[in-house]
Amino acid sequence: MRRRILNSILLFGLVLLILIVALTKRESEQKKNIKQFTVFYDVQGDEIDEDNEIKKKIAEITGAECEEIWLGSQTKDDAINSYIASGEYTDFIVGGLELYQVGALLPIDMYWDDYPNIKQYMSEEEWNRLRLDDGHIYWIPQFGIVNGEDIETIHEGEAFWIQTRVLKWAGYPDVRTLDEYFELIGDYYEANPMLDNQIPNIPYTILCDDWRYFCLENPPQFLDGYPNDGSCMVDPVNLKVLDYNFTDTAKNYFKTLNEQYKKGIVDPESFTSTYEEYIEKLSTGAVLGMVDQWWQFSYNITSPFEKQNLDELGCNYVPLPITIDRSIKNQWHVKRSNELDTSSGISVTISCQDVEGAFQFINDLLGEEVQNLRYWGIKDVDYHVDENGVFYRTDEQREKRNLSDYLASHFCSYAYFPRREGINEDGINMFSPEYQLGEFQASLPIDVKECFEAYGAKTYVDMIGTNEQPGVWYPMYSYSTLLTNQIPAGVVWKEMTEVKQQWLPQVVMADNFDAAWAQYKNAYDETNPDVFFDDMQLELERRIKQAE
Amino acid sequence: MSLLMKKKVKEKTNEVPIQITWKEIKRQKVLLFWSFLIVIYGVIFYYLPLTGWVMAFQNYKPKDGIFHSEFIGLAKFQQLFHDDTFIRVIRNTLAMGLINLVASFVMAIVFAILLNELRNRHGKKIIQTISYLPHFLSWIIVTGILHEALSGSGIINELLVKFNFIETPVNFFAHPQYFWPIVAFANIWKETGWNAIIYLAAITAIDPCLYEAAAIDGAGRWARIKYVTLPGIKPTIIILLLMNVGNVLNAGFEIQYLLGNGLVKSVSETIDIYVLKWGISQGDYAIGTAAGIFKSLVSIILIVIANKIAKHNDEERLF
Repeated sequence: MRRRILNSILLFGLVLLILIVALTKRESEQKKNIKQFTVFYDVQGDEIDEDNEIKKKIAEITGAECEEIWLGSQTKDDAINSYIASGEYTDFIVGGLELYQVGALLPIDMYWDDYPNIKQYMSEEEWNRLRLDDGHIYWIPQFGIVNGEDIETIHEGEAFWIQTRVLKWAGYPDVRTLDEYFELIGDYYEANPMLDNQIPNIPYTILCDDWRYFCLENPPQFLDGYPNDGSCMVDPVNLKVLDYNFTDTAKNYFKTLNEQYKKGIVDPESFTSTYEEYIEKLSTGAVLGMVDQWWQFSYNITSPFEKQNLDELGCNYVPLPITIDRSIKNQWHVKRSNELDTSSGISVTISCQDVEGAFQFINDLLGEEVQNLRYWGIKDVDYHVDENGVFYRTDEQREKRNLSDYLASHFCSYAYFPRREGINEDGINMFSPEYQLGEFQASLPIDVKECFEAYGAKTYVDMIGTNEQPGVWYPMYSYSTLLTNQIPAGVVWKEMTEVKQQWLPQVVMADNFDAAWAQYKNAYDETNPDVFFDDMQLELERRIKQAE
Repeated sequence: MSLLMKKKVKEKTNEVPIQITWKEIKRQKVLLFWSFLIVIYGVIFYYLPLTGWVMAFQNYKPKDGIFHSEFIGLAKFQQLFHDDTFIRVIRNTLAMGLINLVASFVMAIVFAILLNELRNRHGKKIIQTISYLPHFLSWIIVTGILHEALSGSGIINELLVKFNFIETPVNFFAHPQYFWPIVAFANIWKETGWNAIIYLAAITAIDPCLYEAAAIDGAGRWARIKYVTLPGIKPTIIILLLMNVGNVLNAGFEIQYLLGNGLVKSVSETIDIYVLKWGISQGDYAIGTAAGIFKSLVSIILIVIANKIAKHNDEERLF
């Protein structure tokens, strides 16, 4: 009996305690009087803790904080259209043209006079490229706005990646063509079927989950020496839009994949794996090579590699300058400042109650002090400053940055808000450690360092070389991603995508490649792709004219 | 049994119709009040949303809303039936719906009867509890398990290879012909135990005297199942069958959505996925609504036909 009373008192006390904690927390938040915003990003990402330390620091400086909502398991179209259907939006949103079409976005150029960091974020000419048909600007691109010279360290874009252990095993050979790439991987796999005698190696895998299937679909353009225009190639001499889907190179590439599939080099689960499963595969260190864009895999594998000591086994990836033939110069990498994607950015929506506050928040995030917090962290905690004003980190600080728990509890980069890349206003430091040459090299994994030395490279970009802007039109994908169902070219583009998503995996897996290829070609032609390419040609001409 | 009794009561009351007088209304005011609430609830949550069906006959744009969108009549329905994808989607939905209906229906009855024949009460309880636990798992978890189990290095392939049924692992999700069986299997695994509960309850309601009498007449186990158990649960079976027929087009959304990929797209997409893809993702609300209306109409027709057949054969029916 006594025990029962004791228990119930304890239980009651516990409930009371929880209530008090919950209530006081809410009270303290109100007391601080910090503006609360919300943002929706149309990509998947890592959530940070609610009481994240740097988020609080930024809130102290700017008087505002923003709750980040990432894309869940839906597709981005689903998510954006759900917002449209409900008519209620987050304060900020990263969406696209559809939001503008339903009148959900505020014109940025009507407000920007009071916010110098926004207005001066890009040049007049660059801003003009973002004007939509009503003459206003509705979103701010977040990436590729570079202050000063491009300092190129990482290759953010697409490439044929390969693990350093493969290159090391073969004595760091000069690999330049598709055939050489697969030969090398095949030889290595034959000699080393297991990773560290524990798990079987997966020689080559392909990411093919929904829209991410470009890792399978678009290499033909690069193999022919064209840059990433995304949905087409542009002949720089005749100024003509070209289709890369059925060039000889494309056929050659898919035929090679088909042969490699039959040989067991291509991971048989490539086409049925989700993105999460793909990342899981890479995280084991077993995958020898793949085509992908840096941002899509590298940040996800750093932490698992660290925990399993895979750096020492040489499991990190480096890009290779692969083309279809040695005579072709590759354009996998284009200088970052030359690749302004005008098709997406962050917007303020009509649901925002405090528009001035919202623009002020973006303005403040672009300030140097806050930007250092976003990308470098807290001074003397996450980095130090030497007597010349150069930022540097100790090994311990670097390692901490790779731990996912610490990233969640400490760092807050507001990743899809605009950032000013390139060199800081102090003229010494880069905006982010990965672009600071000294920092970049010091934080390279040992196997990559060794590999770079063997090839005489200092950075990832050195591995494949760099290119100037291919033309004023570049990149064309910033137009095709904006196509909607409202115009015929948009419908055709969607249908082409459907056909390719369905057929390309079948072509690679086919017993009879030529028959499957012919069937695929038929299905593709039925969508009437010329409608799409004619529209792209018009846009190409418009862009050239605008630049003049 | 109880349903039969109800029918009799109904017949009786029909003989003496109640006059609607103020006195009668007053007498039933509490009943009327509560049923009125239910009617309001029904109107608000079931009938008002149907006004959205107007979208199917408009070139609907969220910006213009229902009141200012252009009226286009049946154009969207025409577009729908000229779309090969939609025809294929109907086929997939019907096929998977029927397979699921038959498989889960038969499995649940068989399972309930087998469980009922178990003599060990303790074992019966344990088996029943375990069998309906999967019902409480969400589809995302079930599909996760399936994906893992059926992958090239999963347990199924490992077993098949070890026991020499096949030489190299089969990637089950890469071949369209495996997709429907996988979906059916997943449904059976998840729902059989749960569906069996209602049959088990119906079996318990059968008068034990009948079994005793049958036993005295020399009926073995098999004969008792055939002549006592099955006829005893027949009303339940028919009512559930009728309700499930109306559900055939609800062949599922999550499982196909989560298990599908580019390779099996042609057999995996159901009407619901089509609605999501065109209605929500592509922002063509009109066509999504049209597809939804089509689905509802077919479901209503199916259930009416099934009910008619039941009526014709003098069986239990819904209405």
